Amino acid sequence: MKKDEILKIENLKKYFPMKKGFAELFSRKKSAEFFRAVDDVSFTLNSGEILGFVGESGCGKTTLGRTLLRLVEPTSGKITFDGVDVTKLSRKDMKKMRKNMQMIFQDPFGSLNPRRTVSETVKQTIRIHKMAHTRQEENDLIKSTLEDVELKPAEEYWAKYPDLLSGGQRQRVCLGRVMALEPKFIVADEPISMLDVSVRIGILDLMKKMQEEHGTSFVYITHDLISARYICDRIAIMYLGKIVEMGETEKVIHNPLHPYTRALITAVPLPDPEEELSDVPIKGYVPMSADQKIVGCRFHPRCPVGQDKCLKEDKKLIEVDEDHYVACTANFS
Amino acid sequence: MALLDVQNLKLYFFTRRGAAKAVDDVSFGIEKNETMGLIGESGCGKTTAALTFMRFVKKPGKLVGGHVYFEGRDIATASEEEMRKLRGKEISIVRQEAQNALNPVLRIGKQITEMILEHENVSNSEAMDRAKEQLNLVGINEKRINCYPHEFSGGMKQRAMVAIATACNPKFLILDEPTTGLDVIVQRQLLMMINDLREKLHLTAIFISHDLAVIAETCDKVAVMYAGKIVEMSDVVTMYKDPLHPYSKALIGAYPSLKGAKRKLYSIPGAPPGLINPPEGCRFAPRCEYAMDICTKEEPLMVEKEGRKVACHLIK
Repeated sequence: MKKDEILKIENLKKYFPMKKGFAELFSRKKSAEFFRAVDDVSFTLNSGEILGFVGESGCGKTTLGRTLLRLVEPTSGKITFDGVDVTKLSRKDMKKMRKNMQMIFQDPFGSLNPRRTVSETVKQTIRIHKMAHTRQEENDLIKSTLEDVELKPAEEYWAKYPDLLSGGQRQRVCLGRVMALEPKFIVADEPISMLDVSVRIGILDLMKKMQEEHGTSFVYITHDLISARYICDRIAIMYLGKIVEMGETEKVIHNPLHPYTRALITAVPLPDPEEELSDVPIKGYVPMSADQKIVGCRFHPRCPVGQDKCLKEDKKLIEVDEDHYVACTANFS
Repeated sequence: MALLDVQNLKLYFFTRRGAAKAVDDVSFGIEKNETMGLIGESGCGKTTAALTFMRFVKKPGKLVGGHVYFEGRDIATASEEEMRKLRGKEISIVRQEAQNALNPVLRIGKQITEMILEHENVSNSEAMDRAKEQLNLVGINEKRINCYPHEFSGGMKQRAMVAIATACNPKFLILDEPTTGLDVIVQRQLLMMINDLREKLHLTAIFISHDLAVIAETCDKVAVMYAGKIVEMSDVVTMYKDPLHPYSKALIGAYPSLKGAKRKLYSIPGAPPGLINPPEGCRFAPRCEYAMDICTKEEPLMVEKEGRKVACHLIK
């Protein structure tokens, strides 16, 4: 493990068993087919870096995020965090580890307990991880945290229930309860997709501030390339459980190499009324299931440049430019 | 004459805590074959405004004042029987979240023919043929006519909604966030389809969205709504290039793009006001960086400047 690497993922897989029919649902027999939500994903995350995972719904990006924190157990593969193989930790050791590995969820309306006030929500994480020794310390920490996430003055929000807050303010509380722990690594799963356009930037800026001031590393999961460009140092594009392209943000956006990445980029609407609406070069939808029937490249059925060899061979990520990786059988093999 | 002419529309929801002014003194006109975009944050009243054109607002919501002239007829005072004839036939709506808008226990074909049989004097088999045409028109294979909505993907459900809405060749189409919750590629395919359809059927439409980019790609003119009021209205190109109202400026300034150099973006501080007790004067004043004394006292009137309309004390 290199010095500044905080997270190293090797050949991570998460397969969900697929049971067909009523009888199989209740039988004890091991199911023969699997849904390959995350399939052989490897990457590293440097300390103080924001890495974006972009893909359409159903591409496995959320499962990947959850697997990184062992909220779902991986099927196989290695997750090395700070030099420790997380997959081998016991429940008790994992709990200690969680202080440094946190998550921000998509839905701030569902992820906050409606019966806890803002200060109680933050207090809960502080108590679980024993961040403060006295009442006074605890209160000071809550206050400074609320001010950090720009819920100022803290007193005004102290005793408020989430019901009284707007979506953006709620997401700030979610960020706050994570920030109080000063974790080294955070998985942010679509933190802004449920928020209004006018407050989205505020949440992203807060994440950036955490990165700059505390050196926090992020895995930012999103379907929105535009916001990924705004905060990410590197972007990984996912399609059906695999990374198809990964690299430095501006390189991926301005010089996309994989046909899927190109299609995604042309499909993004631009806030410029003089721009002509162009058709996306790919057809169809993401197949509903990433089961084992697909051999070769998974993008092949929709690919505009697909060739016969794509049916047989599935390329691994190869480095085509400095820190720019792509997995495409047709163009790069 | 404008196809749809909205004058001083006021729609309040009478709640126990007071009247929520969801649409407050809104006026605009949409010419034939024109598409108008309506942008705003959630809760600014844009959907409520659109539902008023169909007279879909139920209690405790009530039309307090104003007129909605459609081809010279006033929808605001039309009888329920007249409205029934109008809905689907003249004015149609594609609602947000097709998932919930389609009937889960009826086949798609049935849901399309229902609309045709209601308004036109045709036989069942004729209606079925028309339904097949409709499906082809929106890019769904006609063989899928006997499918239930759950057999469709999200994008296809939304297409089916468009098929139902346009089944009787309406003159006016309300698109209420039709692409929210769809993936970018599916969204682009749907937008392309809607644009084609608008040309083919000579539709006049109002497109409601919070997504500035989607509005930019589909509309001819645009109105920005804030806390129940329209604050600025102009054609789409000038609006995006040179917004006048501080709120439009901030909204466009907070929107990142994939093109060009990376730029610093600014969010708008604070949150939109409640609609029961909106701030006095200009409703945007508490969040506005240019706010002056007069802004918190006097409500700015809509003024016209170089063919654009804007309500702000800064613009004279």
